[in-house]
Amino acid sequence: MPGTLKRSPLKRPERPYIALGLEGSANKLGAGIIQHDPDGSTTVLSNIRHTYITPPGEGFLPQDTARHHRQWIHSVIKDSLKQAGVGIQDLDCICFTKGPGMGAPLQSVALVARTLALMFNKPLVGVNHCVGHIEMGRQITGAQNPVVLYVSGGNTQVIAYSQQRYRIFGETLDIAVGNCLDRFARVINLSNDPSPGYNIEQEAKKGKKLLPLPYTTKGMDVSLSGILSATEAYTYDKRFSQSAEPSPENDTITPADLCFSMQETVFAMLVEITERAMAHIGSKEVLIVGGVGCNERLQDMMGIMARERGGNVFATDERFCIDNGIMIAQAGLLSYRMGSVTPLSETSCTQRFRTDEVHVAWRA
Amino acid sequence: MSEHVWHTVAITIPFLSEEDAQIAKLALDVDRELQPHAVKRVLEVQGNNLVAKLSTLTIRLARLSANAFLENVDLVVHTLDEFGTR
Repeated sequence: MPGTLKRSPLKRPERPYIALGLEGSANKLGAGIIQHDPDGSTTVLSNIRHTYITPPGEGFLPQDTARHHRQWIHSVIKDSLKQAGVGIQDLDCICFTKGPGMGAPLQSVALVARTLALMFNKPLVGVNHCVGHIEMGRQITGAQNPVVLYVSGGNTQVIAYSQQRYRIFGETLDIAVGNCLDRFARVINLSNDPSPGYNIEQEAKKGKKLLPLPYTTKGMDVSLSGILSATEAYTYDKRFSQSAEPSPENDTITPADLCFSMQETVFAMLVEITERAMAHIGSKEVLIVGGVGCNERLQDMMGIMARERGGNVFATDERFCIDNGIMIAQAGLLSYRMGSVTPLSETSCTQRFRTDEVHVAWRA
Repeated sequence: MSEHVWHTVAITIPFLSEEDAQIAKLALDVDRELQPHAVKRVLEVQGNNLVAKLSTLTIRLARLSANAFLENVDLVVHTLDEFGTR
């Protein structure tokens, strides 16, 4: 396996390092503080999140989400400092999400990060959101060189590390898996609290029928928009009933059956492309990160596949799977310890920022 | 339209100190206008004041860019206020 024999370029810190991470690329606003110690250990000092929840049937729009972040960011940062028991002057660097994500929410959080950095004369580190997910997943699970499945509301990628880049093996050709699930939740009017994906997962447990949906993998890639349309089309079917009890006996189609069918089909596709990536690079580990990664059905299905290959699956719970500030602090601090700082003039955000653009200096 | 008439807006925002005004200027200056051909923004610090001069091609853009700018100033002022040592 590439990389496993080489020594890590990351030296042990000579003193404890502390970083603040600020995340706000979508509807979650997060602030987290992480500490790296001389003995090589990493401690999460605090991890605070505030989610912008929209009414059932509605998604979150960039301007409204930005307004939410502007309103809450100060109390979220204060809570994270208080819980960690540190002041801003104690920090080594302030890390923020540079992209990818929604422009207005990203920009609002970056502006606060910049203001704090100037007030307290601290260096800024811009972090790629996807790399943040991967580094936090590696840290929490201890996976050494896994194939990474990154599944969230905005991204669906199968990633493998090689020569200081996280390389994208496969990805969605149209919409992200979380987007597909969230939008279907809106179609059947599920609540967005705590998240549409969570409510789909609970609903799917009641489903009894597996309805045919367009299973679409193309090489290493997947296509999901057709599944969304096809599932939505079932809600106009004569057999569809919003209120009927799911039953294997009759031919009624219920929302629970649709949630179940959608999850099974979409997750089977994801397992397929992940398995292909594992075969390519010869890795036996899978790491699932991103908001959809806390879906236990996806973790189970991935676990079955990994066990059949003699490997295992690593996943984290909602604290670290769903967008959070601590992952930005973790990836940012790794980068900072390698001597990387983002100059003020380059701290603007970018909505498009691919995972493989980042030079992963801290890995061999 | 062969010749453009530029609409101009000047906004003066007083801060508690010149340092605060300077912080605001540096933090706000990083993000470029989304339509640089139609909106020009110049920031400078005069004493305790942050002075913004916006030039736009349409009146609508003058309103939009002034609004967006003030929202950002509001966020910076709040941050200075919440985390400032004074």
